[in-house]
Amino acid sequence: MTHARSFLVLLVALLLLAAPGAASAQSAAAVLAQGARAYDDLELDNAAGLLRRALAVQGADALAPRDASRALMYLAATELLREHADSARAVARRLVLADPRFRPDELVFPPQVLTFYEGVRRATPVVIARAPADTAIRPGAEALAVRLYASTFHEVTATLGTEAGRVVRMLYAGPIGDSLDLHWNGLDSSGTASPPNGRYAITVTSLDRQRRIVRILRLPLEVTQGRVDTLPHPGPPADSLLLPERQPMGPGLKALAPGALAGVAIAVLPSVVANGEDASAARFVVGGSLTIAGIAAFVSHHPGKSIPANVAHNRALRDAWRREDALVASRNAERARGMIGIRVGAPVLLTPEAP
Amino acid sequence: MRRALLLIFLGFASTAQAQSRWNVSFGVGGGSEIARSRSDTTRERVSGLVLGGEAVATRGKFVTRLRYGQGRVTNDTAGRDVAEGEALLGYNARPWLTVWFGPHARTFVVPGQSDRRWLQWSGRVTARGTLFPERVESFVELWQGITGSLNRPAESASGGGAEAGLVLRLARHPVWGRLAYRIEQERGATRRETVEAITLTVGFVPLR
Repeated sequence: MTHARSFLVLLVALLLLAAPGAASAQSAAAVLAQGARAYDDLELDNAAGLLRRALAVQGADALAPRDASRALMYLAATELLREHADSARAVARRLVLADPRFRPDELVFPPQVLTFYEGVRRATPVVIARAPADTAIRPGAEALAVRLYASTFHEVTATLGTEAGRVVRMLYAGPIGDSLDLHWNGLDSSGTASPPNGRYAITVTSLDRQRRIVRILRLPLEVTQGRVDTLPHPGPPADSLLLPERQPMGPGLKALAPGALAGVAIAVLPSVVANGEDASAARFVVGGSLTIAGIAAFVSHHPGKSIPANVAHNRALRDAWRREDALVASRNAERARGMIGIRVGAPVLLTPEAP
Repeated sequence: MRRALLLIFLGFASTAQAQSRWNVSFGVGGGSEIARSRSDTTRERVSGLVLGGEAVATRGKFVTRLRYGQGRVTNDTAGRDVAEGEALLGYNARPWLTVWFGPHARTFVVPGQSDRRWLQWSGRVTARGTLFPERVESFVELWQGITGSLNRPAESASGGGAEAGLVLRLARHPVWGRLAYRIEQERGATRRETVEAITLTVGFVPLR
């Protein structure tokens, strides 16, 4: 019994320890839902607190961008209905900067709120950019497309510049309505050459009606010349495929050895077998014959002599490999000719001064 | 001892018979032979021509070899007839290596005296090497007496020897030739005899 109780206490303690993580994981979306219900019930103070709590959650449990926009819209409406106009404007402005394309639901929010948000949106010129993360283009013939989305109609200038701020190319200057496609054809201001490898940025500057800079969007780029996937070069012919081009020494030596060894044996053996006897010199006739036969056998193998058939076979293999290698090299050169790779980084939004 | 060796010899022979068909080779030849004889009191050097023949039969890995030769060796003051022979059973342990076992004997006949005969039971090893495939090969053969005897004076004997040379075969003809140098020494308690020979043998292979 005591053991069972101890187990229950331990289990509860473990659940309590695990609970905060699970609660926070659910809390951001759940708190947003509670805040939305409180707003609907006109419990505005409660709604404001819940919505701020939902927006304050960071990290993996934070609200998704779409829910964050909804939470900001509910919070702006709540503050407006609480007659906290400045707070409502700040929240609405924060929403415009985060998501210029956001439009409040006309069935959820009253006209007063919609009009208020529309006013803030029009007074907050800002753009966001969408571009492929990694691409390659042929300068002059193709272009990098960057789509800009604007919060409201306003004037913008778009330039390509170095990290240090030097303008490489003017991309656009003029008005933007809902959206605008920027195209960079990969060339610098001269229009004839692509910029060298390095880090660059597309800078989109939003201007107000007095042509003052109200927002700067920097979209970092990394440009690499000729960065394209290439075909692998074929390896040279394997040694196992190549035939020996010269007659090896081995067979010749193998033929020489029996003759030479037997010849030496005839010279030496009498002193081993019949020590103390003067062996006949006539034995050298036989020993010499053996040695000469061995030398003749060695020469008959033509050691070191070229083997034309094998040379031709190997040459054909090597030529085929060289042709294939040259073909791959030319294909790779064709692929890489004038191509530049562009890697797009995360955009950064700067506000030099409050509008 | 001799009976045991004979039994081993017959055992090998019966095993050989169980193998596949026989290949037989015959040869005849002759050569110059020099014999040096030493005893406690005398030294003698005689030389002459010895003619002989041989037969080699092969079945599977087993080989038998019979050789016989006779001739006359002389010097300025004396002369002797000489007869020698061997009967060996061999086993081809490797394509290039044969081990042999069997007796061989050499008898010197001096008119008016009893024969002097050396008998050795020996073990031999023959190694061959190819110079030109199927045409020319060299060989070296070494032997060592295991047990032996001399009949006059009656005493036990030991000995050893070597032979090396060149074997040639004609293309598309069952004929072969051999040029060889041989040296053997047999030793008794009171006598030592050394025989050198340079032989030329021509043979044929009728059943190949």
